[in-house]
Amino acid sequence: MDFGHDKTQESGFEGRRTVILALLLFAMLSLVIKAVYLQVVDKHFLQKRARQQYSDIVSVPAYRGQIKDRQGEALAISTPIQAVILKPNKVEDWGKVKEIADLLGVSTKKIQAIQRHSANKSFIYLKRQVNPDLAEKIRLMNEAGIGFEKALKRFYPAGEVAGHLVGFTNVDDVGLEGIERAYDAILKGQPGKKKVIKDGKGHIINDLEIIREPIAGQDLTLSIDNRIQYLAYRELKKAVIENQAAAAALVVLDAKTGEVLAAVNQPAFNPNNRQRLNAKYYRNRAIIDVFEPGSTVKPFVMLAALDGGYVGVDEKIETHGFYRVKRRLVRDTHNYKTLDLTGVLKKSSNVAISKIALRMPAEFLWNTYQRLGFGVSAGVGFPGEARGRLPDFQGWGKFEQATLSFGYGLSVSVLQLARAYTALADDGVLHSVSLLPRKKDDQAERVFSIENTRRVRRMLEAVVEKGGTATRARVPGYRVAGKTGTVKKSEGRKGYSKHNYFAVFVGMAPASNPRYVIAVMVDDPSAGDYYGGLVAAPVFSKVMAGVLRVYGVSPDREESMPVLLMKNETE
Amino acid sequence: MKISFFEALDIRPFYPDKTLLGVCAALLLMGYLIVASSSLHLGVKTAGDVFHYPLRQMIHIVLGLIGGGLICMIPMSVWQRYSRVLFIIALVLLIVVLIPGIGVKVNGSIRWISLAGIRIQVSEVVKLVSVLYMAGYVLRYQQQLQKSDYGAIKSLAPFILVGALLLMEPDLGSAVVIVVIAMGILFLAGARLKQFAWLILAALVLVALLIWVSPYRWARITAFLDPWADARNTGFQLVQALIAFGQGGLFGLGLGNGIQKLFYLPEAHTDFLFSVLAEECGLLGVLLVISLFSLLVWRIFAVGRQAEQAGQRFNANVAYGMGIWFGFQAFVNMGVNMGLLPTKGITLPLMSYGGGSMLVMCAAIAIVLRVSHEVQEKQVTQAKGVVRWKSA
Repeated sequence: MDFGHDKTQESGFEGRRTVILALLLFAMLSLVIKAVYLQVVDKHFLQKRARQQYSDIVSVPAYRGQIKDRQGEALAISTPIQAVILKPNKVEDWGKVKEIADLLGVSTKKIQAIQRHSANKSFIYLKRQVNPDLAEKIRLMNEAGIGFEKALKRFYPAGEVAGHLVGFTNVDDVGLEGIERAYDAILKGQPGKKKVIKDGKGHIINDLEIIREPIAGQDLTLSIDNRIQYLAYRELKKAVIENQAAAAALVVLDAKTGEVLAAVNQPAFNPNNRQRLNAKYYRNRAIIDVFEPGSTVKPFVMLAALDGGYVGVDEKIETHGFYRVKRRLVRDTHNYKTLDLTGVLKKSSNVAISKIALRMPAEFLWNTYQRLGFGVSAGVGFPGEARGRLPDFQGWGKFEQATLSFGYGLSVSVLQLARAYTALADDGVLHSVSLLPRKKDDQAERVFSIENTRRVRRMLEAVVEKGGTATRARVPGYRVAGKTGTVKKSEGRKGYSKHNYFAVFVGMAPASNPRYVIAVMVDDPSAGDYYGGLVAAPVFSKVMAGVLRVYGVSPDREESMPVLLMKNETE
Repeated sequence: MKISFFEALDIRPFYPDKTLLGVCAALLLMGYLIVASSSLHLGVKTAGDVFHYPLRQMIHIVLGLIGGGLICMIPMSVWQRYSRVLFIIALVLLIVVLIPGIGVKVNGSIRWISLAGIRIQVSEVVKLVSVLYMAGYVLRYQQQLQKSDYGAIKSLAPFILVGALLLMEPDLGSAVVIVVIAMGILFLAGARLKQFAWLILAALVLVALLIWVSPYRWARITAFLDPWADARNTGFQLVQALIAFGQGGLFGLGLGNGIQKLFYLPEAHTDFLFSVLAEECGLLGVLLVISLFSLLVWRIFAVGRQAEQAGQRFNANVAYGMGIWFGFQAFVNMGVNMGLLPTKGITLPLMSYGGGSMLVMCAAIAIVLRVSHEVQEKQVTQAKGVVRWKSA
């Protein structure tokens, strides 16, 4: 068949074929026109829309500064963690979400509540501060309704040992307690900002540009020595358990610089895990809480009397065991009869110290206390730092003046008390106290004469000697000076408790040239013993022994020294 | 005497339309690249394997090529003889898919039957069979069609059944494509214009009615008219597709660099593959694909014309039907992607991800190539004046 004759074979509707083909090709042409419109004319509008949906500005967390002890050991560091986010409106499989919640320790009930009441929300923190390993595991479970957010979490290597002091931050990395709060402005960095590309599920897939670099916070070095802090923590905890005490606090000061080397408290808490914890555990009692210092203030009264000439160095005081002041009685536990000045402190006679105190004008005694920093904040810059109470002398009666001389009627914090003792330790020079390391104390102030201070310090050495109230405060190889206090707890208007006490001991060593002051307060020991000399003094002894060993201080107590070493003894 | 390689091997030579073959190869290749690019992240998410989808699509294509190769060997006369049987089988499949437990439900529609791990959309098979059935039908009832007052309307009766079954899935898109194919073939076969006009009018009214009574279809229409009005819900898909086009601009972001496929565009590797191409390959890629489909349609029609001229009327009708099918479906898919048409879940022939679609499309192309082969073969044998079988 000839090709030319093929026309005869056709249906006779060739025109229609052309029409259909033309229609189809015209349709294709319309596509071309629309494509040109979208990709050339409307391009800018569409690209703007694209940027609106995929680009986002996110915050780049800034590293919070580290908190370190004086040795450079970390007390608080920031570590990267993840926050797990639930997007209820994008959840594909609620069963999977429940599995994930289970891994995170979030209750199924909570998930059910979300499923029921907020299923169309787009952002709920399922759990913040999730460690990266767990977050990665959850990421691999591939649930569309689960997202992640990078963050930084504070980690406290020293745990509960320094918990009260260092404090902690909240989930937003803002300091809530302790040093974290006090120095928040220095520690916190400035978060940066960056522009990112997000995919349709809100995951960041690429960084576009850094708008602002995050500025890391500054590191902060404390005067705290972690070794001492740990030692003190351990001994104090042991004492609280042995004595079944309600609480306790201890402060170690450098007597020459006023630096706080340790400040520990019981009960303690672990800042790394604060779940189910009551705020009362957070209190840094050593700095925030006050108590009546009792007999521990007697050395100051003695020293003031000596400096003011109200008592002679060789004077003897008659005690009789009680002393009538106006219509009330000042009592001693025993009748010590006649006491020399050393005996007054060694036996801690209320009667004798009252008699001495009542020789001086009220203003003079008030002045002494006031210059020692009682009633004024110690100024270490710790949040909620206590001022204590020192009533104005114009309201004092004779009896009040007497009780103030043996430490009732005024209140101080452990830190304030330890600070006052620096005046005894540093030959009459009172030091300011600091939580930051320093070589020298620029705010040191002479409050007592060198001669009388040394005299009283020698009297305080007798306290730990045989017949004194605190023989258990001794540190082998060193001369120790200190004073006990056994204070009846005030019960407000009802007066003083008959069964509840603060057991206190404040001391220093080596007494020949004191380097360290330690104040120990045990609140309500209830295992039997409650005397400062029996409850607080042993803690002092152990901690002081540790401090002296850690800093390699030469022993100054000759009788216990090996013969060879005695020649090197310079102090 | 010089003998060809095939003659020497005593194998019957195959004469495909080389342009058509080239166009199809180009579409398959481009489609595969975009499918791979648009499904890598999805594979990670759903199967934990980047190559989950690319690997499967590769298998689909290989299976499609093997199937196509086999179909090339089937003489058109076989299709002509069995076209009615095949149509009945297709109807049965359409009923079977609706039986609960057999059909696979995706996004609220039951459209698929799972066969040996490959999901086949029944409507794709029905489209292919409809072409074959209609091509035979218009030949058998040519007189009636051209002369009778109701010829055209009568011929469409089986398609009312097909359409009804498809709407039960529901799959309005496929119903429209099948009706367009059937009517196209009717038109080419010489259906009377007056009847034809009534048919078109009736079809339009029916479709409008179906859209009007169904809230989700109506929502798609309003979203189509103004996608930005509710860009987060009803207009979301279209808005994302449009943004992909805008993002692409003239030259595109580059293969693999698209953002829209990253969970913005739903069905990026299937129905909205063209948008991914637009974003990554730009206007350049879009024009290339439109041109390839235009070329495809034009070549298929050319093959049909050759067959018609060679007196192979059934073959010619089949080719026209396939041309209308590919042309219309490609147009609808691309039009939907660009917001030129309301959103319809319809694949881009030879390009979209999907085993069933790929197998059926390859089979359809293979049939067109067979048509072209039979034309060429006839010419060759006639020109040489020899019998079809050359003896050794």
